[in-house]
Amino acid sequence: MNEQIRVKIADYAVKKEEGMLITVGLGSCVGVALYDSFAKVAGLAHILLSDSTLFKTPSNPAKFADTAIPLLLEQMICIGAKPTRLKAKIAGGSQLFSFERSMTSVGEKNICAVRNVLALLRIPITGEEVGGSVGRTMKLFVQHGKVVISTVGLEEREI
Amino acid sequence: MPELPISEEFKLDVLKEMGNIGAGNATTALSTLLNYERVNMHVPEVDLCPLVDIPDLMGGAEKSVIGIYIRVFSEVSFYAVFLIDFESAQTLVASLTGKKYPVMEEMGRSVLLEVGNIVTASYLNALSHLTNLTFLPEPPLLVVDMAGAILGTVLAETNVAEDYILVLKTAFVTAAGDIEGNFLIIPDQNTLDIIVRLLVNGACQ
Repeated sequence: MNEQIRVKIADYAVKKEEGMLITVGLGSCVGVALYDSFAKVAGLAHILLSDSTLFKTPSNPAKFADTAIPLLLEQMICIGAKPTRLKAKIAGGSQLFSFERSMTSVGEKNICAVRNVLALLRIPITGEEVGGSVGRTMKLFVQHGKVVISTVGLEEREI
Repeated sequence: MPELPISEEFKLDVLKEMGNIGAGNATTALSTLLNYERVNMHVPEVDLCPLVDIPDLMGGAEKSVIGIYIRVFSEVSFYAVFLIDFESAQTLVASLTGKKYPVMEEMGRSVLLEVGNIVTASYLNALSHLTNLTFLPEPPLLVVDMAGAILGTVLAETNVAEDYILVLKTAFVTAAGDIEGNFLIIPDQNTLDIIVRLLVNGACQ
């Protein structure tokens, strides 16, 4: 049971009691970790884009902040989580390529969208490592809800 | 002339063909660059890859690689990304300059950016001849990070609507060693429709 589940890009996973959820290589994407410490229910999503309503035919709801987080929440409730007990930790939303234009980067848009959706769902953010210009890997330990971030050439750290 | 109905399947074929055309040109350009020695070129593999598998293309999303990213604007827009691992990059720089410049220092970076430019430009030339469109590539950008982070960022930057991405795998064998790379073409939805229409009309004339 002590398995690890890998969350791919535009994907999410939920897990109860033990094991680990991991998502590798968050660039401008944002990883959203939700945790209910009472029920020991964890959920992790790897969000690619901010807003599904900008697309004519959004095929995969797990791709977008506005649709992925409610979906993740729903799945967590199915295995025993309570929305009022949930805490969130977020990572990613960096800008890897240094474009010269001064527009808001995709990473910033994603961070902003994730914050808004979490605020609407009344889920507090208790830890984060966002922005900058590096890729990140995010691990969520199901047993205690700790979130660990790693980047190329740096030590792992908890947020 | 009346609009022909265009199926999704046909669009995928056109995407693949866009890949084939470009791959031949791009690889020829690269071998011309390396003409001081004999270069054997593998036939490029062209494939449509599910979006979720893209970050694992380079042998693991967490693997540290070099990415060269070029945006192309005109009547249509798309994005080209050239990905190579450190060993291949080192071999490429050594083959082109005849010296072992470190890939991450100025000379090494400059050589890699130029390769990205030439490969992309030769690809665009081929596509331009076929479609009569003019393409304007922006200067290339180079980044070193986890393959997953680079590819995820590119997918997000392009606002990718598709769930499949066109991938060309290229490989060369040179006297200095093997060079392997991935060349990705990510058109936006309208681009694909325009190019399909131009190619279909061209074929009917």
